[in-house]
Amino acid sequence: MDNVLSARALMGISLGFHIIYATIGIGLPFMLMIAEWLSLRSGDELYHRLARSWIRPAGVLFAIGAVSGTILSFELGLLWPRFMAFSGPLIGLPFSMEGFAFFTEAIFLALYIYGEQRLSRRMLFFCTIILTIASAASAVFVISANAWMNTPTGFRLVNGALADVNPLNALANPAWAHEAVHGTLAAYVATGFAMAGVYAAALLRGRASDYNKRALTLALTVASVSLPLMLVSGDWAAYFVANHEKPKLAAMEAHFTTTRGAPLVIGGWPDPASGKVLYGIEVPKLLSVLAHRDPESLVEGLDAFTPGSTPDPRLVHPFFDLMVGSFSIMLVAALWFWWLRWRRREVPMDKWPLRALLFASPLGVIALESGWLVTEFGRQPWIARGHMRVAQGVTAQTGIGLMLFTFLLVYLALTAGLLRLLVWPATAGKGMQSTQEDRHVDP
Amino acid sequence: MWTLENLAAGTVLLGLVMYAVFGGADFGGGIWTALASGPRAREQRDGLFHAIGPVWETNHVWLIFVVVTLFTAFPKGFAALCTVLPAPLVIALIGINFRGAAFAFRHFGRQTGQHIPFMAGIFAVSSILTPFTFGMAMTATATGRIVFVNDSVQAGPWFWIGPFTLVGGLVGMAICAYLAPIYMTVRTAGELRKDYRLRGIIAGLVLGILTTVAIPVAMVDAPLFAGRLIASRATLFVVLAVIFGITTEILLLRCRFLLAQIAAAGTVTFTLTGFAAAMYPDLLIGQLSLAAAAAPPATLRAFFAVLVIGIIILAPSLLLLYRTFRGEPNPELPG
Repeated sequence: MDNVLSARALMGISLGFHIIYATIGIGLPFMLMIAEWLSLRSGDELYHRLARSWIRPAGVLFAIGAVSGTILSFELGLLWPRFMAFSGPLIGLPFSMEGFAFFTEAIFLALYIYGEQRLSRRMLFFCTIILTIASAASAVFVISANAWMNTPTGFRLVNGALADVNPLNALANPAWAHEAVHGTLAAYVATGFAMAGVYAAALLRGRASDYNKRALTLALTVASVSLPLMLVSGDWAAYFVANHEKPKLAAMEAHFTTTRGAPLVIGGWPDPASGKVLYGIEVPKLLSVLAHRDPESLVEGLDAFTPGSTPDPRLVHPFFDLMVGSFSIMLVAALWFWWLRWRRREVPMDKWPLRALLFASPLGVIALESGWLVTEFGRQPWIARGHMRVAQGVTAQTGIGLMLFTFLLVYLALTAGLLRLLVWPATAGKGMQSTQEDRHVDP
Repeated sequence: MWTLENLAAGTVLLGLVMYAVFGGADFGGGIWTALASGPRAREQRDGLFHAIGPVWETNHVWLIFVVVTLFTAFPKGFAALCTVLPAPLVIALIGINFRGAAFAFRHFGRQTGQHIPFMAGIFAVSSILTPFTFGMAMTATATGRIVFVNDSVQAGPWFWIGPFTLVGGLVGMAICAYLAPIYMTVRTAGELRKDYRLRGIIAGLVLGILTTVAIPVAMVDAPLFAGRLIASRATLFVVLAVIFGITTEILLLRCRFLLAQIAAAGTVTFTLTGFAAAMYPDLLIGQLSLAAAAAPPATLRAFFAVLVIGIIILAPSLLLLYRTFRGEPNPELPG
C-alpha cells in the first residue's frame, strides 16, 4: 500500500473503532438520566438498580473511548500534518470546545460511577444530567470539524497562505447544523437499539422479569422517539447535500448522468465504466423531489463535474443504502413491538417481535457507521473540499504501513479483551463473586 | 512578553504541568504497583488502584488538552513534531491504550473475578512505558536535531534516541514515581503510610540525581538547551525546583505529609517550567520559534475566549471530583 492509502486506512479504522465507543458514550448517559429521574420521581428502586447495572459496561466502554480518542487526536498530526498545519487555526476551536466537554464528561461519569457511597441520590441524578449535556455537546463540537472538511469556510487563501481567518465562521460552517443534529440523534438510536437487543435476548431466554421488561421499554422508547427525528434530519441533510455538495449527492444516489425528473435508485451496483447501475430498483422522479422538492427539477449527475474531482459511487451508494435499509428495519421492528404493546397493554413476550428487535439491535450502530462512511467517501478526493486534496494533506514520513499494522494489533487486542469481559460473564451468569478475592492473589 | 503566542505557550505549559502533576501520579501509581514490596505489598497495590480509579480518566484529558492546544495555537509546530517523532509518540499511545484498558478491565473485571493478575501486569508495564517515551519525545525537541530545510521539517529516524533523551525518559518516569507515593501518604495511615513515605523519599532522591545528571549530559548532547538553561531566567526555575525538592524530602522525613504533597507538586511544576523556560522563545530549539509556529491572532483570541469559558466550567467540577474522592482511597468506603 502507498502512504496515502495506508494513512486513509489507519484513520478510517481508528475512527470506525472510536465511533462505536463514542456513540455509546453519548447514548448511555441519556438512559442513565432517564432511569435516575424515574427512580427519584416514583421512588421506585428498580430504575436506580437498572441504571447502576449499566455502570460496568459504561465504565469499560468510556475508558476505551477515551484512550482510542487520544490515538485519534495524535493521528491528526501523525498522518495528516500538512492538513493540520493548514486547518488547525480553523478547526482547532471546535476541538478545544470538545476537549472541555470531554473533561466535564470524564469528571461527572467518575462521580456517578464511583460516588454511590459518597453522594446523595439527587446529586447522582444531577451528575447524569451534566453527563448527558456534556456528551451531546462533545459530539456536536467534534462534528463541526468534520462538517468544515465538507464545507470549509472562515478564511481566504492568498498565494496558498491563510488570510482573513475567522474561526467562528469556520465553526459555524454551513454543513454543521444538519450533520450535528443527524449525527447526535443517531447515537441515541444506536444505543437504544443495542440495549433493547440485550433485554430482548434476556426475555427470549425466558427471563420474563419486570426488570428486563422495563429496561427493554426504556431503551426502545429512547430509540423510537429518535427514529422519526432521524427521518426529518436525514431529509434535511439530503436536501443540503443536493444543493451544496452536489458531487456527493450524485455518488450517494449513483446518479451518473445529469437529468430532469431524476429517478431514485435503490440498491444495485454502480458501474462507472458503463455509467449505469446494475440490478437497482428505480423509483421515477423521486430523486428530483427529494433533492429540489420538484419532480421535474434538474439533478446534476457525476458527469457534470471535472473528472478526478468526484467521489467513487461504488464506495458511497452501497453505504447510503445500508444506512437507509438499516433504518427501515429498525422502524419496522419498533412499530411491531409498540403495536403489540399498545394492544395488550404490556410488553409482548412473543418470539418473533422480540427476535426482530434482537436482529435490529446492531443496526443502529451499523447505520451510524454507514452514514459516516457516506460523508467521508462522498467528500473524496478532498480533505478540505475545494482547497486541499487528501494526497496533499498526508505526512511526508514513510512507514505508515507499519503504523497501520501496529495500531491494528492494538485495536484487535482491545476488542478481544472487551468481548471477553462483557460477553462471557453475562452468559456464565453470576456466582463468581465468592471467588473474586481468592483470585486476586498477585505474586 | 505578554504576546498572544507567549500566552498560548503558557497554556501548553499549564496543560503539561497539570498532566504531570495529576496524570503523572496515576502513571506513578502503575509503576509502584509493579514495585510493591514488603509484607504489605498487596495493601500498597490495592491502595494505589483504589486511588487511581475515579480520577485517572479526568487526569488523562490534560494530555488531550495539550494536544488540542498545540494544534490550535501552534499548528505548524504540531505538524512538525508529529512528522519527526512518530515512533516515540506511537509507543506512548500504545502504552496509554493498554494502561487505560487494563485498568478498566481489571477494575470492572474484578466484579466478576476474571483475569486480574494478567491485567495488572499490562497495567504496570504500560505505566512505565508511557512516561518514559513522552519524556524522550519532549526532550527530543531540545536536542537541536530537528531542522527545517526549505520549510520542510527533517530529522534522522533515530535522532530521538540519545544520551539526553534517555535521561529525559528516565526523568519522565521518575516524576511519576515520585508523586504517587507522596500523594498516598496523605490518604493512608499507620504502617502503610510509612511504606509510601519511604518510597516517596527514595523516588525524590532518584529524581534529584537524574535531573542533576541531565545538565552535564545536555551540555554535551544538547548544547544550545544547556546554555540557555544555565544562563537565562530558566536558572531561577531550576533553583526553585531544587529548593522545593529538598523541602519535600525534609517534610517527608518530619511526617508533614500535606505540605510534602504540595511541595512535591511544586518540584515537578518548577522542573517542567525550567525546561520550558530554557526552550523559550522556541518550540523546536534553534529552529522554530513560538512566533513562527503560532496560528493567526484571530484564532488565538477565539481560543482564549473558549479557554476562559472552559475553565469556568472545569474548575468547580474538578474541585467537586477531588473533594468527593479525597481521604480514604477506596471509593466504596466513606471519605
